[in-house]
Amino acid sequence: MSDRPAPAEMQYASATHQAMTAVDGMWLFLATELLFFGGIFLIWTVYRSLHPAGFAEATGHTNLVIGSINTALLLCSSLSFTLGLSFARRGDNRMLVRLALLTVLLGLGFLGLKGVEWWQDFAAHLFPGAGFGIGGVNAGTAQIFYTLYFIATGLHGAHMIVGICLVGWIAWRARANAFSSSWYTPVEVVGLFWSFVDLIWLILYPLIYLQGRP
Amino acid sequence: MYRDILRGPMIVWLVLALLLVVELLATLMHSVMPPLPIGIIMACVVAVCFMNLRRSSPLSRIFAVAGVFWLLVLLGLGAMDPLTRTDVPVVGATR
Repeated sequence: MSDRPAPAEMQYASATHQAMTAVDGMWLFLATELLFFGGIFLIWTVYRSLHPAGFAEATGHTNLVIGSINTALLLCSSLSFTLGLSFARRGDNRMLVRLALLTVLLGLGFLGLKGVEWWQDFAAHLFPGAGFGIGGVNAGTAQIFYTLYFIATGLHGAHMIVGICLVGWIAWRARANAFSSSWYTPVEVVGLFWSFVDLIWLILYPLIYLQGRP
Repeated sequence: MYRDILRGPMIVWLVLALLLVVELLATLMHSVMPPLPIGIIMACVVAVCFMNLRRSSPLSRIFAVAGVFWLLVLLGLGAMDPLTRTDVPVVGATR
């Protein structure tokens, strides 16, 4: 593709204006997403404050190794897609394809490990309901913890799946040399979404695995 | 050529990796340092550096700040009642 800017749609003053609007729009969407996850942060904060002992006991049953490896995987994936964007800015579609595919692999690694963790949780009867695996005085609170745990990680996982599809689409488009040094807006917008999913996990990680861990 | 591209993001990634290690060690060693503020700092680093907020348009920054502002309103107002409510018996109330 040539380095000439893509023509702007009629409602924009220029191609630059169109690109800036797309990025601004993504930030607006991410602000609503932050409030979406904010409900979970709020419930978590309130219940942890009201029942610190039960939440601490439930935190002790989470898999810290998998949680920490997954955090590292997401940090690496944010790095790889940020580098991909840098190469996109220079019009290097070949490197963008490689780095986007690496990002997809890291994302799939995260989901794979999360699947293993969920499987272990189900095997240990940590899914809330009859026959819940944690007994004693903190059983009720531990069930609340694991309800929030499955909702939070499930919603985050759903965002990961969307992100992986989008990054895969970027790789597919870059393979067809769709981006140039003067037009890489989709790479920038998808990069924002991907890093935001990483950002949400950076808050969920201490909430789920670290805070009050015995 | 690659060096210019790699340097900035790699430094940011190293800072994030270091903060992750600090967060993990603080928890395992039962340090007085709580892990959540470290996680929030890491999230801010991702927003400013990886999401390029420092070089974004004014409108993008307004949206980002507005998102955080309304999140704080949500957390503040939402947590105020359950965290401050006391179990005071009401005179004349029957159970």
